[in-house]
Formats: sequence, structure tokens, C-alpha cells
Amino acid sequence: MTTNESPDDDATTDQRTHVRETYGDIAATGDGCCGNSDAEIAADPDRTLSLGYDADDLEEAPDESNLGLGCGNPVAISNLEPGETVLDLGSGGGFDCFLAAREVGPDGRVIGVDMTPEMLERARENAADSDHETVEFRLGEIEHLPVADAAVDTIISNCVVNLSPDKRRVLAEAYRVLRPGGTLAISDLVATEPLPDEIRDDPDAVDACVGGAATIDQLEVWLADVGFTDGSITVEGEWTDDLPIVSARIEAKKPT
Amino acid sequence: MKESLLEILCCPLDKHDLELEDAEYATDDDGDETDEIVAGVLVCSECGERYPIEDGIPNLLPPDMREETPA
Repeated sequence: MTTNESPDDDATTDQRTHVRETYGDIAATGDGCCGNSDAEIAADPDRTLSLGYDADDLEEAPDESNLGLGCGNPVAISNLEPGETVLDLGSGGGFDCFLAAREVGPDGRVIGVDMTPEMLERARENAADSDHETVEFRLGEIEHLPVADAAVDTIISNCVVNLSPDKRRVLAEAYRVLRPGGTLAISDLVATEPLPDEIRDDPDAVDACVGGAATIDQLEVWLADVGFTDGSITVEGEWTDDLPIVSARIEAKKPT
Repeated sequence: MKESLLEILCCPLDKHDLELEDAEYATDDDGDETDEIVAGVLVCSECGERYPIEDGIPNLLPPDMREETPA
């Protein structure tokens, strides 16, 4: 792996710390993200349904696990099979993990990685409240995944990669832990054209999942760079009128 | 965390295997130990870095981030 392209300066550390503090507060208070500072919107079932989850999904997962922080429904698009091992990057309250657990069944397993202790605490309580024995959470960083090589069938992630100061490295780590033939199937906010510097450098815009959004062109280059094939970035919808930001499905395969 | 999951975990820094030390297991209703680990330490077999398991959740953040983490 090349490390010389990984920004590891003070700005990177600052961004990571800011994101972690913000999401720690969200976990504690239930406030929303991704452009929704209104807690009522964050927990609004209608909004969750509009993102592509169905009513059964809301029934299935523990109530407290849906923090309304996502921008899409990666589980719906990733065609999980029974028995698969699934990794959720930035698992938050665990909502997608519990839905994935339903898909992969008793012989599968789901691992959620999140860098925010407060989020994992909520996820763990949610897991204890339900009978999802195949879901495990661990504290970790998506740029430094604590997962063995070629151990995972499918990687999911919902509105998280944009928060990383080093997205290329996240994709390289995802590639490493996928087995040959494994699938990357994530939802995220992406930029359709380069963002103005004043947005990109604004920590609050980054926390809102907007400032850190990579351009579609850049993501396509990174996917191919780290080894993925069949990469596709499908725009799902407008996110805001003010900026060239859209929600998108990002899919790719690790070659067999 | 389940002990069976140990095989797919690795050190976040150098990706080498982790070894479990000082493990405490949860007990079931009959008082028998289960394979659910509630506390212990994961030690990298290569670099020796130690990662604590607290309340059943392994803290596998890189050391520079772990120090900022409230206990």
C-alpha cells in the first residue's frame, strides 16, 4: 500500500476529531446529521421510508438503532445472501447492521465498525435488546480496518465515507478485507462538480456530510486505482439546492 | 464479542493476527461460560500493541486515536 498519498497532517487530525466529537454528541442527544439538525426529522419514519427502507425494515430493527443519519439504504441494493459475512463501515446506531443480519441469517455474520464510542454504546444496547446474535460491533477506524485480509463478502456503508479525510485509503482498506469476488455496495453523498474551498474547509459542512463529499470523477479514479472493477456510481437524488451534492450508490467488485 | 470472531480480526496497524489475553467470558442462565468475551486484551502477534476489550467491545482504534477516547 502506498502511504505517501495519505494526508496525515494536523488538518486531517482536526477533521477526524471534529467529526468524532459531533457524532458523539449526536449519539448522546439524538440530533441528526446530513443536513438535518432537527431531531424530529432525524427520527421521522417517513424520511426513513423515503430513503428506500420499507416498513418491515422499521419493524425489524430495534427502535433506538435508527438515528436517521443515513442518505440511502445500502442493504436494499447489496443483494445479501444467507451465510455471508458483511462489514458495515461507520455503523453508528447499528440500524443497517440489524437489517443485514436478517438477510444473511443465522449462518452469516455482520460486523459494524465505528470510531465513535458513544455510537457503539448505543449500538451495543440495541443489540442486547434484540435477538440479533450474529451482529458484532467494534471500535475502529475505517482508514485502519481491524479486519483480516479477504475475510468479508460484502461491505456496506451509509453516508459515512464522505466524512473521512482520506477516502482513497478507506477504499483501499475495503478492497483488502473483501474476498476475491466480494462486493462493495455503499450509499453516500457525492459532488457532481468540485466544491468551493469555503465549503470544503468548513468543519460544520464536513460534519453535515457535505463539505467532505468527493466528486464522482475522483471516486471513480480511486476505485480503479485501488483495484476494484465494475465500479459504478449511480445518482439517486438531489440532496440540497445550494450545492452540487447528490446522494448516490457506489458499487464495485473485487476481481476473482 | 464472540471468540469465534477473533479469526477475522487483525491489528489495525500492521494487519497481523491478534492473540487474546486475560479473557473473561459471559455466563449463561445456568452459570456456564459462553463464547461471548466481555473483557480482556487483544495483543498483536507482530508489533505487540495491546487493544482492550471493554464491555464486550474491542477497542481497535489506532493508538493515537485511542488516547483521545474517553474510557
